[in-house]
Amino acid sequence: MKKILMPLVMVAVLALIPFIGVQYAGLSYLFGVIVPYLAALLFVAGFLYRMVDWLKRPLPFNITSTCGQQKTLDWIHHDKIESPTKPWHAAVRVLSEVLLFRSLFRNNKAEVRKGPDITFASSKWLWMGGLVFHWSLLIIVLRHARFFFVMVPGFADYLDQADSFLDVTLPAFYVTDALALSAITFLFVRRVMDAKLRIISLPTDYFPLFLLGGIVAAGVVMRYIAKVDVMPVKDQMLRLMSFSFEAPGEIGALFYVHLFLVCVLLLYFPFSKLMHMGAIFLSPTRTMLNNTREKRHVNPWNAPVKFRTYAEYENEYREKMKKAKLPVEKE
Amino acid sequence: MKRRRATLTKKLIMTAAAVLILVLAGVYAFRHEESQAEKIAAPAAAAVDSSACIGSKEYMRANHMRVLNEWRHSSVRDGNRVHVAPDGRKIEKSLNTCLNCHSSNRMFCFNCHMYANVKPNCWNCHISPMEAP
Repeated sequence: MKKILMPLVMVAVLALIPFIGVQYAGLSYLFGVIVPYLAALLFVAGFLYRMVDWLKRPLPFNITSTCGQQKTLDWIHHDKIESPTKPWHAAVRVLSEVLLFRSLFRNNKAEVRKGPDITFASSKWLWMGGLVFHWSLLIIVLRHARFFFVMVPGFADYLDQADSFLDVTLPAFYVTDALALSAITFLFVRRVMDAKLRIISLPTDYFPLFLLGGIVAAGVVMRYIAKVDVMPVKDQMLRLMSFSFEAPGEIGALFYVHLFLVCVLLLYFPFSKLMHMGAIFLSPTRTMLNNTREKRHVNPWNAPVKFRTYAEYENEYREKMKKAKLPVEKE
Repeated sequence: MKRRRATLTKKLIMTAAAVLILVLAGVYAFRHEESQAEKIAAPAAAAVDSSACIGSKEYMRANHMRVLNEWRHSSVRDGNRVHVAPDGRKIEKSLNTCLNCHSSNRMFCFNCHMYANVKPNCWNCHISPMEAP
């Protein structure tokens, strides 16, 4: 219970900090200018550091994980995506993982139902919840382009329209807002309901969920319930985009809660599990080619070994071997 | 196998046709209702008092869309076209009430809406100040 409550309290405290800071201490410059710049800087630097660090690590073994037929004789069907031999096929495998969560689609669930035998069954709920969660967040982030650019890019406009297609409430209701919140709820409930999952879940699993939930909730409340004037918000975002240090205008404290939680997310990102965003593109089990029959994979840190062939051995001991009547290959 | 596939395509076409007919019927039904709704006579308008805005500048900047939305609902659905301001003034619930004061600047709505890239559907039905002569 503590490992669920702790992150929840942390997010609540983190949300209160900018609220009190802006509402009662007038620290809008700190939370509107300094913290966002710091967070962005540390996010980019930390992200690059982690990626470069991973890229520099040697790959001792070819550990591609396959569940398809490796390339072999011509008349045996080669499963190109599951067991890639060309970089292009491996790229398709990585992208299908990134965009469609292919490996989660194969998720299994083990249960003891009636009788002593354990039952395995396909369980697509995690796949579906994760897909809804990630795609909603992606669309929400891209939609925010309208706050960051004077001329809003066309795709953001299109996403905006598609997202508010239900055309209910005013301001128009975004489908992804509801989807993101329900997916976060589902992912949380999933961890709590299943005893096995509850045991292996850590505070670092709950914290990002609560943090993202807090960000989305603050955004939703700001849009539909406790209105915030959008003009100074866009002013401020444009200033941040042009690296200006001007003080922000009059904006409601709720906006600073939203912004500060995003900053916390950016700060937390490079040093946490959330790095799976970059790591998925580097994961050896997805990116490596299953071409061990065509190419010898050499461990890059292998020390150079001095080999001695049998021919060399025989050259040295030929006379002694003949004397001892041992068979030799060359006379 | 081929024959089975043929029957499958046939079934698909039939389903698609059925869905199309349903959608068309739905669209027709809605059209019908809308034209009936138009026949309801507009209630008498209240006197327009436009000496001051109905709310403070800060309130209107953040909440004007809610005021307009509330006005639309209560005037169209309940026929209540009179808004009573907190100070007791009676104001007609109409876009014209707003534009009586704010029409001097044709870009009054559009300046901010274009800046924030917000596209309300007011002008789907109403004549926008940009189009007005």
